[in-house]
Amino acid sequence: MDEQISRYLPLTEATAYILMAVVEPLHGYALMQKVEQMSQGTVRIGPGTLYGAFAQLEKEGLIRMVKEADRRKSYLLTEKGKTVLLEHLRRTELLVTYGRMIAKEM
Amino acid sequence: MNTITKYKVFWAWQDEQEELWLGKMAAEGFHLQALVFPCVYRFEMGAPRNDTYRMDFLVDRKDYAGYLQLFKDAGWEHLGEMGGWQYFRTSRAGNSIPEIYTDRDSKAQKYQRLISILIVFLPIFMTITTRPIDPTSQFAALYFTGKLLGTFLMLLYVVAMIKIFQRIQELKKR
Repeated sequence: MDEQISRYLPLTEATAYILMAVVEPLHGYALMQKVEQMSQGTVRIGPGTLYGAFAQLEKEGLIRMVKEADRRKSYLLTEKGKTVLLEHLRRTELLVTYGRMIAKEM
Repeated sequence: MNTITKYKVFWAWQDEQEELWLGKMAAEGFHLQALVFPCVYRFEMGAPRNDTYRMDFLVDRKDYAGYLQLFKDAGWEHLGEMGGWQYFRTSRAGNSIPEIYTDRDSKAQKYQRLISILIVFLPIFMTITTRPIDPTSQFAALYFTGKLLGTFLMLLYVVAMIKIFQRIQELKKR
């Protein structure tokens, strides 16, 4: 399983935010707004990038389409997506913890 | 409404220059209204605007309506398409230039889609250009012209592919 999960890691900053955003069903534009808010404006996702990311993540089985209304598809994180995201967070935490320690000595 | 039609050759590897040109036209009061034919643009004349134009390249059209809806929601007006190129415009202004691609990976993927389409046409040109001509045929001159044209187009395709390949490499390195 670890091998399987490692394939998707590390997540890019944008991908990590996308996965975090779809813990509730969201369509594209709502997601773009949520990511901008979550990241305090540091991460913006354009529609071209997001359209490709949705297709890619759905193909990889990390998210799935749960609703389609008015030509807007809503996606939700899958169990596999959750596992990948949690592993990414665990690794990032290690990085941050160690980084803070180093930073104190600098 | 006053309109003008402009002819401009557009090379597949110069999409960013094309976007800038459309933005410059808008700043002079010429707003893209429609794509008439390849390389033929129709502009609507009006007050100068500070618009941003962006072009996407789309191959998979299974969800075209959903694709257009996403761009529309994000504030991009779809102006039309020409040979797979999707023309978008936004008036949204802010402290940063609006972009449809916000990371290098996804931008590189756009050019990879473009290359995948160009490659499809190569065997056709290869067939035309490598087919032997029977000199006794009454159509020999015609065949020869076709071969010359085919060779020219094939060279153009090869140049396009090299240029686009270079763009992808640039986007992939940091």
